[in-house]
Amino acid sequence: MSAEHHHEHDLPFWRKYVFSVDHKVIGVQYTVTGLLFLFFGFCLMMIMRWQLAYPLEAIPVIGTWLSQSMVDADGVLIGDGYNALGAMHGTIMVFLGVVPLAVGGFGNFVLPLQVGAPDMAFPKLNMASYWVYLVGGIVMLIGFFVPGGAANSGWTSYTPLANIATTGQTVWLFGMVLLITSSLLGSVNFIVTTVQLRAKGLSFFRLPFFVWAQFVTSFLLLLAFPPLEAAGVLQLMDRLADTSFFMPTGLVVSGELQESIYSGGGSPLLWQHLFWFLAHPEVYVLILPAMGILGEVIACNTRKPLWGYKSLVYSAIFLGFMSFIVWAHHMFMTGMGTTLSTFFQATTMIISVPSVIILTCFIISLWNASIRYNTPMLFALAFLPMFAIGGLTGLPLGLTASDIHLHDTYYVIGHFHYVVAPGTIFALFAGVYHWFPKVTGRKMSEFMGKLHFWPSFVFINAVFMPMFFVGMAGVLRRQFDQTEQLQGAVVHGLTIMSSWGAWGLGLAQIPFIINFFWSIRKGEKVGDNPWEATTLEWAAPSPPPHGNFETVPVVHCGPYEYSVPEKKTDYCPQNVVMEA
Amino acid sequence: MLAESTYGAWFPPMLSEHGGEIDHLISVVHWFMLALFVGWGIFFVYCLVRFRQRGGHKAVYNPVKGKISKYVEIAVGVFEAFLLVGLSMPVWDWYKNEPPDAGADRCEIRVVGEQFQWNFHYPGPDGKFGRTDAALIDTATNPLGIDWENEDAKDDVFSQEMHLPVGKDIYVRITSKDVIHSFAIPTMRVKQDSIPGMEIPVWFKVKKDATTAKLKESMTQTYPIDKIKWRRIRHHVAVEDYQDRSGQVVLAKGAPLGNNLEQGEKLINTLRESGHTELVLQPANPLEVICAQLCGNNHYTMKAQLITHEPADFDAWVQEMIEDRTAGSEMFEDF
Ligand code: HEM
Ligand SMILES: [Cu+2]
Ligand SMILES: [Cu+2]
Repeated sequence: MSAEHHHEHDLPFWRKYVFSVDHKVIGVQYTVTGLLFLFFGFCLMMIMRWQLAYPLEAIPVIGTWLSQSMVDADGVLIGDGYNALGAMHGTIMVFLGVVPLAVGGFGNFVLPLQVGAPDMAFPKLNMASYWVYLVGGIVMLIGFFVPGGAANSGWTSYTPLANIATTGQTVWLFGMVLLITSSLLGSVNFIVTTVQLRAKGLSFFRLPFFVWAQFVTSFLLLLAFPPLEAAGVLQLMDRLADTSFFMPTGLVVSGELQESIYSGGGSPLLWQHLFWFLAHPEVYVLILPAMGILGEVIACNTRKPLWGYKSLVYSAIFLGFMSFIVWAHHMFMTGMGTTLSTFFQATTMIISVPSVIILTCFIISLWNASIRYNTPMLFALAFLPMFAIGGLTGLPLGLTASDIHLHDTYYVIGHFHYVVAPGTIFALFAGVYHWFPKVTGRKMSEFMGKLHFWPSFVFINAVFMPMFFVGMAGVLRRQFDQTEQLQGAVVHGLTIMSSWGAWGLGLAQIPFIINFFWSIRKGEKVGDNPWEATTLEWAAPSPPPHGNFETVPVVHCGPYEYSVPEKKTDYCPQNVVMEA
Repeated sequence: MLAESTYGAWFPPMLSEHGGEIDHLISVVHWFMLALFVGWGIFFVYCLVRFRQRGGHKAVYNPVKGKISKYVEIAVGVFEAFLLVGLSMPVWDWYKNEPPDAGADRCEIRVVGEQFQWNFHYPGPDGKFGRTDAALIDTATNPLGIDWENEDAKDDVFSQEMHLPVGKDIYVRITSKDVIHSFAIPTMRVKQDSIPGMEIPVWFKVKKDATTAKLKESMTQTYPIDKIKWRRIRHHVAVEDYQDRSGQVVLAKGAPLGNNLEQGEKLINTLRESGHTELVLQPANPLEVICAQLCGNNHYTMKAQLITHEPADFDAWVQEMIEDRTAGSEMFEDF
């Protein structure tokens, strides 16, 4: 094995950095692409926030640059343009931003190192996964340029609306099929790598929590995505071949009876079941890797073992399992009967228990710690209360009776964004700051890091906190102009505040962007283990060469042996037998 | 109760018999959430301060032994079970399984969603819905394709406003012509997706004193003119005439503020410059049926006025609608 790896420097540039099979290069490719898509998805949102705060006023500066499928001649957004931005924001954030960054980026780079492997189990599959993802992403973007603009039926693409939507929806479906394929290739790889390529001595219960989180996530991707892939193909058939999988009998669109086009007899709700069968586990795909990152950053910066490591692991597994049987809580308003809704309410309440346990373990880990307030730790600590808000506000949505009032309002938007934005996104930032020295051999600037953290923390709450009140007042999501409705007009002030928060949040990312590029070249040079951490990735050189470790690591202890009494240093790396 | 019924940043006005239980559940859950959050928060902040890294301070390896987290987790589980079984299921059970008895006292309405309007079909005094036929659909005059020649249809009412009697059982059968919509009345705490190919009923009762007339009264408010933004009051009307300095009425009683930002702001400016310090306004119509499911380009405009009457007035409205229609069609025949 090593013989061929050491020939790496002979490879031409494009094999080494472009079509590379090295998990680290692929990890970096995924990370950079994912960050770019996150930024792009965020920009779409900043445009939407203009229309929400100042309905039907021309978008400043860029208004007239946008295509005619989105704006009118004066640069004022139109309804379908808003809907396209919303659908693409959701799609891009979830499938092109967070998942590729959390799984493709961090998973790829860190997981093989943490299990002490020279690479992924199937390097070529790994490369294929990235390129299929990239093509899928480009296909998604092409949607903006077809007649009628990008997909505009929500990221959920409910039928029949999506079936009769403009061409953008077809492009969206092709994009989704590619993205799903990419995720499947990735998840197989992660599972086999974790099972087969662990270093000697690295038993399952010595795995860092990050690896566990990625492992469970991979199973979710592997098992939940195929039904959506199938559903996507069925919707394509409905759109392109006039089948009726999701088209009921007797549809009349704009006064035209659809019988001549569709035979009918299909079920619009079937799509929702197939979609949410994926999309609820997907929620945990968004959150589990974030929790994994949190485990690493918190253990390292509290200088003590994670509290309740085994509870964390069991909770993650249980969470993964339960996430497959809660999906219909997104469909309480479709006319579901009591038996079914009771089942899904009960599973929803049950799934909140492991989340509570995970959060509790992290918080109790702070007890008797010696907390080091560096930038990664600040982001990780902020995750805790933010995720708590996101999780708690899920309760009234999971109870059918309160959901009657809250379903499809801004309360829902507030709820899941507290989970994925100041939750997951903050954890991802923590991960970037934490592993940057491993990838580049240099640290990111602490000062700029704090300049990034504090404004982000303030602004992100200014964006999402008002949404709970707006939603409680009865304002619906996906509204091009909320002041069209009485209650929307009354609470419009809160929406304006939310918009300014979003633009502030955009500005607050400037220090990050500068810091990121500046530190690649000019950051403080550091050794292999700048944080004095214990897990195996820190045993490799920074940056790790092709093949990763200079000597094959052997593991002697658990992942978080910090502050072990009577030892020379306050950390015992997993591959070192520490003398007293 | 009604006196406080106005729109604000917490719940919207609550005007149905069952809605109170929903609001109660939401309040209880939020107090519970707040308690947990504050509890966690205190522990969290204490740790952040007490266990920060500093000279002479060391982390302790030995894991915490206490059982307290177990107890908290169990308590959370038990309370969630209580919320589910004690507070959520009873309402839901009523909402899904206990329709009001069919009969004269039940006001039945067929609601059909379509891009981008709500259509209401009332059976009239005979209690029977007339035949409908997709072939008769005419988007402008007969969106539901009601066969007006049909015997049962003679006394039917078709309307794009929703009229309801207060204090009576309302039984609504919801469906859609094209895509999925969602029938939502925030003030009644009612929401139900409207799905093509399916007809799904919901039922509720409007509070006895919640007539549109009384609501307008209770939502009449004085707005200091310096703070007024057109967008916030765009659905309101003046309750008295307002004149400019020359004595000309610029905002007449009952007239809306216009549907345009520029004109609206200009009007408010004129009033301000004419020396008015405040405006007394009320919603043009305090209740709406809206669509809660993304249904296309103009999804956001998909709403219907909801007007609640004393039962006698409601019957009068039905009669009037029937007469208007027959008069209209006779006129048509003469022509
Ligand atoms: C941090 C900055 C973010 C802001 C300011 C933001 C804001 C918003 C807003 C205001 C909406 C509602 C639009 C509407 O209903 O009309 C929305 C929808 C959505 N967002 Fe975000 N978001 C952010 C990040 C994220 C992230 C990180 C994710 C996912 C991981 C995400 C996923 C979604 C999804 C799935 C929707 C629903 C789209 C739909 O209605 O089809 N957002 N976002
Ligand atoms: Cu879910
Ligand atoms: Cu609609």
